Amino acid sequence: MERTARTDRRQALGAVLRDVVAECGPSLRVLSGQAERRAYETDALTVHRVLPGLVLLPADRSQVAPIVRACVRHGVPYVARGAGTGLSGGALPAESGVVIALAKLNRILDVDPDRRVAIVEPGATNLSISAAAGEYGLYYAPDPSSQVVCTIGGNVAENSGGAHCLKYGFTSHHVLAVETVLPDGGTAVLGSDDIEAPCYDAPGYDLRGVFVGAEGTCGVATRIAVRLLRRPEAVRTLVADFPDVPSACETVSAVIAAGIVPAAIEMMDNLAIRACEDAVHAGYDRQAAASLIIELDGPAEECAEQFEQVSTLCSEHACTRLRIARDAAERAAIWAGRKAAFAAMGRLSPEFLLQDGVVPRTRLAEALAGIADLSAAAGLRVANVFHAGDGNLHPLVLYREADGQGPTAEALAADIAELCVALGGSLSGEHGIGVDKACSMPKMFSPADLTAMDRLRAAFDPSGLCNPGKVFPTPALCGEARAGAYQPHPLEETGKIQRW
Amino acid sequence: MVGASSSASHADGGPSAAQGTSADGAGAPEPPAGPRSITPTTLKDLRDAVSTVGAVLIRGTGTATTWGAPVRDARTTVSLAGMDRVLDHRPADMTVHVQGGIRLDVLQSELAARGQWLPYDPARSEATIGGLLATGDAGPRRLAYGSLRELVIGATMVFPDGAIAKSGGHVIKNVAGYDLAKLCHGSLGTLGVVAELVLRVHPLPQTSRTVMVRDVNTALAQKLTWALTRSAIEPTAVEWCEPEQVLAVRFDGTADGAAARAAAARSMLTGSLAELDAGEAHSFWESHAARVVAEPGDTVLRAATRPGIDPGLVGALSAFADRAGVKALLTCSPATGAYTVRVTGADAKAHAELVKNWRTSVEAVGGFVMLRRRRPGVDAMVESWGRAPGSVEVMRRVKGNFDPENRFAPGRFAPWF
Repeated sequence: MERTARTDRRQALGAVLRDVVAECGPSLRVLSGQAERRAYETDALTVHRVLPGLVLLPADRSQVAPIVRACVRHGVPYVARGAGTGLSGGALPAESGVVIALAKLNRILDVDPDRRVAIVEPGATNLSISAAAGEYGLYYAPDPSSQVVCTIGGNVAENSGGAHCLKYGFTSHHVLAVETVLPDGGTAVLGSDDIEAPCYDAPGYDLRGVFVGAEGTCGVATRIAVRLLRRPEAVRTLVADFPDVPSACETVSAVIAAGIVPAAIEMMDNLAIRACEDAVHAGYDRQAAASLIIELDGPAEECAEQFEQVSTLCSEHACTRLRIARDAAERAAIWAGRKAAFAAMGRLSPEFLLQDGVVPRTRLAEALAGIADLSAAAGLRVANVFHAGDGNLHPLVLYREADGQGPTAEALAADIAELCVALGGSLSGEHGIGVDKACSMPKMFSPADLTAMDRLRAAFDPSGLCNPGKVFPTPALCGEARAGAYQPHPLEETGKIQRW
Repeated sequence: MVGASSSASHADGGPSAAQGTSADGAGAPEPPAGPRSITPTTLKDLRDAVSTVGAVLIRGTGTATTWGAPVRDARTTVSLAGMDRVLDHRPADMTVHVQGGIRLDVLQSELAARGQWLPYDPARSEATIGGLLATGDAGPRRLAYGSLRELVIGATMVFPDGAIAKSGGHVIKNVAGYDLAKLCHGSLGTLGVVAELVLRVHPLPQTSRTVMVRDVNTALAQKLTWALTRSAIEPTAVEWCEPEQVLAVRFDGTADGAAARAAAARSMLTGSLAELDAGEAHSFWESHAARVVAEPGDTVLRAATRPGIDPGLVGALSAFADRAGVKALLTCSPATGAYTVRVTGADAKAHAELVKNWRTSVEAVGGFVMLRRRRPGVDAMVESWGRAPGSVEVMRRVKGNFDPENRFAPGRFAPWF
């Protein structure tokens, strides 16, 4: 029986390959060898690995629709993939499925400085858009820490944020239109009708808004129109060190209570500070219990006025050192340290799991205390570096696989995500649910909520072949064996997740 | 409780009143003529109210009942007037949780008492927040702050089968699950009722200043708009009105900051310009909103195009209006490509002629035109919607999956679905 199923899948993949090669020609790159496919078996969250059956790299966006149509025709699941930095298993391949790797579709097609719009291909990196727009004094605001390598297509799939989203909003706010290959192989521009002349107000349901953040389950983006912002007249950045975590958290609340919306408020705890400082030498104080990076921007007068207020508020909340960036180079160094945080964790631990929960800002101190308790109970260290302004935590659970700590780390990460939900927050702020947190979704959403979401998904993807198994809990993912007797997932046994 | 016969529950233009709340099951007597109106006050009663049979029209304060195509044979009107409270305002988190039936102006005044606001200024300030989401409406300040789709961070919806579902939550950064609130943006009550919303609020700006330039023709309006969008002075709104040919530029911020930006704008802009005092600015923006809303008997079109003021479209509008013998008053948000046209004078045939002709021009440049209001008789001569967007098949499937019996506002998107 199993052998028959495997044979069927192999034959279906073979049929897909024949069709796409015939339709797309030799410029379509095909990776079919096991070693080549291996590079696509995981995103950066390496605890989840599935070897795809076939990897296809379109050389041109016109090749995407034929690939999707061939997959649908032969019943083969597929997932689009950018740089693979999602960290939630959102781009994890389906077993014996197709990966559509969009890395070659990386062009910035147009920058319109008057309308402040850029038309880009999905494989363009986040930072390359700002680089292209920079010529006109413009930039693309959402800035995930991985912006040097992460692609805009992936940002759209995950509605990725970054440090500056507190003031400027998320990917969803900056995407005007998305040209998509829909899961049935048809094409449409969501949010407009002409991707080259995107409008703000396409009539009807906001399908563009649904597509952004749908984790690649509603189709494949082939061109994206993004809104650009004018570079602010002034930018002021400081690093404030605190003797304890609660003081830093109170400072964040005080800044907001003063009616100031900074461009960014980032926080690091001592473990994170030390790792970043050792890696990048950004000038952080290795002794500080917690540090805030606060950046204000905007018109010069308002920026100066509010920066003064912020500096005073830091001093009033037990700040032990206030370091103000004197120029662009110092500002860049401060941010280089923060943005290198995940990579820097290698100095502390051979492996780590990144969590991505969100809590209401006023409950930050409570959340961090809860994480410390969970960390102590699990016997694993947790470093915290996060977007304090919008309550988006990024606890890094440090562990050693060689010591068999993997399952404990997974359980601790799940506990932290669910702690965020218990505090009135969310399972994810920017990385998505993917496969990693799908089994926790019932902690946040009722069966009725999930059913409504599933109805929406089915409207886009009636055949269920577009990035299946993501976002929603499935029996296969959350515990039930694919055949035979039910076998609980280890997390389910510990009560960390529940089946839905 | 369900206020089935309360005086507050009269349907829009309906004969009166409530006709009882019992469901019309199979074999039941024919329902009496005319719509019945239900005004639930709890989520549970709202669910019971929509879990009826026959067509359902959701109503807030009734400011947009004419948007899109007319609804066919609504047997039941469900009013959100009884669900109009602030449930939880958390100033330090910059969030507010409200019921869908709260009026925007009421919400703004409650927020202002604590130094905050929803940075959102559609012309219909007396509309309900749920209705504003459903209509996808936006005002001039959208340029700086976005529309309601950018400010909603959570929603609780009741779907036609009575299912109560929520998405999002109380945190501003959240990507867990699908964003059902976005789906409702622009849905015009065809998918479900927005029973509750969680919104992101902002600190109230200390002040707002408006600089006005007169005698600005289309080409100059375009040029000045691009000069503003290329600058770092960050206008909150840029609006151009025709035939008056005034360009109004608004700045929100700190007292000194907004003053400095307004001064910078005055030095950047050319022509006959002045900064309005607070009273003048208030009057201008009030009259601007009144024009957008218009009055019964007017026809109101809303066009969406790529950002800019297209001289061809403005010229065509003027020529078609002259030909039809009507007056066409235009307000345009050039930096976001939104045009609202109020048509007055002459008869329904002339209005329909203008709609048809100008829609052809707008569609030729990739835009869309919908009818928000029309003079009686116009419907028989012109569709409320123009060409369907390329994604209409997905919209049809969405509608089918959430409302398979087509009970919610049937006909609203005719002829698309």
